[in-house]
Amino acid sequence: MIDIGIVLEDMWSPIIFIVIVLLNLGLAYWLFKMGDPTYNKTEHSGEPFISGNRPPEDVRKIHVAGDNLFWGFTDALKRYFEPLIEGHTGRLNDYMYWVVITLAVVLVYIYLVV
Amino acid sequence: MTWDTIVTASPTFILGLPLLFAFLTTLVGRFSKRLGKLLFGVGLLLTTFFVGVMSYQVLTDGSWFYVFGAEQPSPENLLSFFRITFVADGFAVLATLTIAITALAAGIYSYSFMKGESGLNKFYTLFLLTLAGVNGMVLTGDLFNLFVWFEVTSVASCALVAFRNYKGKSVEAGLKYMVLSTVGGLFVLFSIGLLYGQYGVLNYALLREGITGTFIDKLALGILVVMFAMKSSSVPMQMWAPDAYGEAPGSVTPFIAITSMGSLFVLFRLLFGVFSVSISPAASGSILIILGVLSMIVGVTMALVQSDLKRLIAYLSVSQIGYMMMAVGVGLATLNTGEYESFGELAMQGGLFHMINDGVYKALLFLSAVAVVHATGIRSLNELGGVAHKMPYTTFFFLLGALSIAGIPPLSGFSSKLLIYKSVYLYSPILVIIALVVSIITLAIIGKAFFNAFLGPNQGLVKNHISKTMLLSMGILTAVLVLFTLFPNVVVTEIVSPAIEGLIGSFEGVLP
Amino acid sequence: MSWDAFFMTMPYLAVVILLSIGLYTVLFKKNLIKIIMGIAIMQNGANLFLVSLAYRDGYYAPIFTSAESTDMVMPTAHALTLTSIVIGLATTALMLSFTIMIKRHYGSINTEDVRRCKE
Repeated sequence: MIDIGIVLEDMWSPIIFIVIVLLNLGLAYWLFKMGDPTYNKTEHSGEPFISGNRPPEDVRKIHVAGDNLFWGFTDALKRYFEPLIEGHTGRLNDYMYWVVITLAVVLVYIYLVV
Repeated sequence: MTWDTIVTASPTFILGLPLLFAFLTTLVGRFSKRLGKLLFGVGLLLTTFFVGVMSYQVLTDGSWFYVFGAEQPSPENLLSFFRITFVADGFAVLATLTIAITALAAGIYSYSFMKGESGLNKFYTLFLLTLAGVNGMVLTGDLFNLFVWFEVTSVASCALVAFRNYKGKSVEAGLKYMVLSTVGGLFVLFSIGLLYGQYGVLNYALLREGITGTFIDKLALGILVVMFAMKSSSVPMQMWAPDAYGEAPGSVTPFIAITSMGSLFVLFRLLFGVFSVSISPAASGSILIILGVLSMIVGVTMALVQSDLKRLIAYLSVSQIGYMMMAVGVGLATLNTGEYESFGELAMQGGLFHMINDGVYKALLFLSAVAVVHATGIRSLNELGGVAHKMPYTTFFFLLGALSIAGIPPLSGFSSKLLIYKSVYLYSPILVIIALVVSIITLAIIGKAFFNAFLGPNQGLVKNHISKTMLLSMGILTAVLVLFTLFPNVVVTEIVSPAIEGLIGSFEGVLP
Repeated sequence: MSWDAFFMTMPYLAVVILLSIGLYTVLFKKNLIKIIMGIAIMQNGANLFLVSLAYRDGYYAPIFTSAESTDMVMPTAHALTLTSIVIGLATTALMLSFTIMIKRHYGSINTEDVRRCKE
C-alpha cells in the first residue's frame, strides 16, 4: 500500500501550504467584506491610469512591448550580453567549433584530474 | 503466450510497438488517411500502456534484464550478456514514464494542430520512430544498441524538426541539428570501438567489471560525456537547441526537448552504471557540475534577451537541464563516500525528480505557448498582447507551467528545487546561490513572457480557434502536474528512489 | 619495431588521417556539400577503425566454412560496422536532401548565408 504522507524531507508539505493559503484568502475575503459596500462604479473606472495623462487612443500603445521590459537590466550588463548574443552566430562551423573545443577541454580536464 | 511472458517482454513492446505502428500508419495511410490517423493514436496508447505495465512490474517486483532468445543472465549464465539485452529497472521506468507522458500529450496535440499540413502520414511515422528511438536509448543494456537507437532518434527527430520544409528556417534548424547529431554519433561509435577493442564486450554489466581506467578508457569517457551533453543541449553546445525548438512544428517541440532529455538519461546511466567503478566518480561528477552551472547561467540570461516566445522557452529549458546536471553531478561526485549518505542521495533525488517534473511542466509551457502562436500567428513578444481575454484556459495552463518552471510554491517545480537546494548547499553554498539567482531570473523572464503575451488590453489578435483536443492534451499534462504538486513525497519514494537504486546498482552483482 | 607490427598499425594510422580530414572539413569548409562529404569521410574512418579492431591474425571470417568455431573471429564489430554503414547512408541522404531544400529557399549553400536562426 502506498503511504500518502504529506511531508517531503521533514520540511515541505504542499497540502499544508495550500490549506494555509486558502485560510489566508478566506481572511482577506472577510476583510474585504467588512469594507464600504456603497462604492459605485463611475464611467471611467477600470481604465488605465498613466500619471493623469489621457491614455492613447490606440490600445496597442498602452501595452509595453517585449524588448522594453528589463531594458535597464540588459543595458547595464551590455558587456556580458553582447558577446553571448553575437556568439550565437548561426553559422554551422561555429557550432562545431564549440563541440570540438568542449571536447578538448573536457579531455584535458579528465587527464589532469582523474 | 501467457500474461507473465508479456510482462517480462514489456521492454520489447515499448520500443517494438511504436516501430511497428510507425510503418503501419504509412502503409495503411496510403489507402485511408483516417485509418492511418487512428493507428497513430492506437500506437501511442499501446506504448503508454506497456510503459505502465513495465512500471508496475518493476515497482512492485523489482528489476530484471530482458534478453532476446535466452534466459535471464545470472552468474551461471553469462553468455546471455552477449545477446541483445534490455534493462527494466527503476531508472528505465523513470525515463520511459517521462517520455511517455510527453509523447502522449504531444501526439494528441498534433491531431488538430497539424491539420493544415500535407504528408501527415509521414509525420506520424517520424513521430513514432522518434518515440521508439528514445525508448530504445534509455532501455538498452549494451553500447551496440545504444548507438543504433541514438542514430534512429537523430534521423527521425531531425526530420521532424524540418517537417515543414516549405519554411527555410525549419530546414536550416533541422540540418544544423542533424550535422551535430551525426558527428556526435560518429564520435560515440569511435569511443564504442575504443572500449570494444580493449575488452571485447559491449554489455554495460560486463564493461563495468572490465574497465580498468586506462588512458584509452578516459578518452572514451570524455568523448561519451561531451557528445551526450551536446545532445542534451548543455552549454556551450546548446546552440542547436533554440534553433530546433523554435523552428520545429509547435506540437512536437516538447517531444524534441524530451529526446534531448533522453540523452541526459543515457549519460547518467553510462556514468553511474559503467564508469563509476573504475574512473573516479568525483572527477566525472565535477564535469557534470561545471557543465550544469554553465547551462543554468547562460541559458537563463540568453532567455532574458529573447523576443521570440518559443526561443525564450527553449533557452529556459536549457537552463533547466543545467539544474539536473548539477544535482545529479553532486550525487555522482559524492558517490562511494560518506557524504553520499548525508546529502548525495538527496541531491540525486532532487535531480531525478526535477527531470520527470521538468518533462511535464516544460511540455505544458511549450504547448500553451504554441497554442498562442497558433491562435494569433504571431511569435514575437513585441507584437503579442492581451491574448488572455480570448483564451482563458490556455492562460491558466501557461501560468501553471510558468510558475512551476520558476519554482514558485506550492507547485511541483518548487518541491524538486527545494531538494536540490538543501542537498547542494552542503556540497557547496556557492552553487546554491547561483541556482537561486537563476531561479529568480527565470521568474522575471516568465513574468515578461506572461505579461507581454497574455496581459494588457485586448488587441483582437486571436484569429484561430483552439480545438478541444489541444485543450485535452494540455489538460492531461496539468492533471499530472497537479498530482506531482500535491504528492511530491509519493513520487520521490515510489518512482525516484527505485530509479536511484537502478542507476547505481542495476549492473552490480550480476557477475560472479 | 618489426615490419609486421608496423603493418598492423597501418589501419589505425589511416583511421586517424581519415578522422582528421573529416573533422577539418566540417570545421573549416563553408560549403554544405563539402561539410557532408567531411562527415562521410569521418564515417568511413570510424568504420575502418571497427573493422581493423575486429581483425585477428590467423583466424577466419565467421561465415560457413570448414574452420573450427574456435578459429573464427567474434563478428560483433562486423555487425556494428554494417549497421553503421547503413545508418551512414540514411544520415547522408537526409542531410543532402536538407541541402537541396536550403538551396531552394536561400539560394545558397554557403554556411555564411545559411544563418537565419541566430541570437
